[in-house]
Amino acid sequence: MNTSLENWEAQMRRGWLEVAILATLWPGRLYGLEIIRALATNSDLVIAEGTIYPVLARLLKSGLVSAEWVESLSGHPRKYYKLTAVGRKTTLILAKDSNEFLRKMLALVEPLLRENNR
Amino acid sequence: MSPNGHVAPNSVDAYSLRLRAALRGLPDSEVEEILREIRGHILERQEGEGDSERLLKILRELGSPEDIGALYRTEALVARARTTFSPALIFGSAARVATKSLIGFLSLLLGLFGYVAAAGFLWCAGTKPFLPDRIGLWRSQYRFSMGIIPPSEHAQELLGWWIIPVGLILGITVIVVTTALLRWMLRYALPPPAARFMRVK
Repeated sequence: MNTSLENWEAQMRRGWLEVAILATLWPGRLYGLEIIRALATNSDLVIAEGTIYPVLARLLKSGLVSAEWVESLSGHPRKYYKLTAVGRKTTLILAKDSNEFLRKMLALVEPLLRENNR
Repeated sequence: MSPNGHVAPNSVDAYSLRLRAALRGLPDSEVEEILREIRGHILERQEGEGDSERLLKILRELGSPEDIGALYRTEALVARARTTFSPALIFGSAARVATKSLIGFLSLLLGLFGYVAAAGFLWCAGTKPFLPDRIGLWRSQYRFSMGIIPPSEHAQELLGWWIIPVGLILGITVIVVTTALLRWMLRYALPPPAARFMRVK
């Protein structure tokens, strides 16, 4: 794959990363590694694992998530993140917008994919 | 070797040391918190399996400490640029994001142009008392120019001592306008934080 196409795809994935993280936190609090594992299981977002922590820090500063350190049985503390009230509202709006956007994009790209597969 | 050309660290301590170095400039408390979190990530992934090959795989999948550090520093710089009015800090942020997006690159160009022009106006105002016959707004046969003129060139000076207040006002105005524009552009120079999506439609 040529580099410009790879860059384009990387930019697209990066834009979706925050939405995916917020959606992953919807059911309840998770720590970084759990979020990474949930993303890997539930979506095809492939990222360098360390990338997620600066994004979480940004979400924390913007007030969409809160964080707390919790001691674990394994001996090292974990930093758990959960959606704030504002974060829940934002995530819901993002989910609706994403759904609408993806539906329109699919309507646009599906005909050409069908034609190409014939 | 990582994609950015750095040799991959081969122990948790080596990784932490390099990440600490890559986080220079951030507040100490923030650095400690980041190191604690990343260290916890590595140790938890390593649990039960302490062999060195597994550790190397974990560190590779985590990403290079320099890349992670650069992400944190860029985030911090842009966040500060959004809240500060310091031209130095804002220009530093523009320089940092110049390679990350077209808007970042345009921010750097605008910053360079605006601040150099402002420095030129202020320099004219400040230098006039020392070179009264050579600093001014000049009209020659072919062009207008503001600044210093060679003694050999024949041109008419238009502003006289007024160049001092005019230069000061122009310089300060260009700094204020450039800074305000850069602050606005930097909001769009990085992929936007999720909160901003709320304003889309």
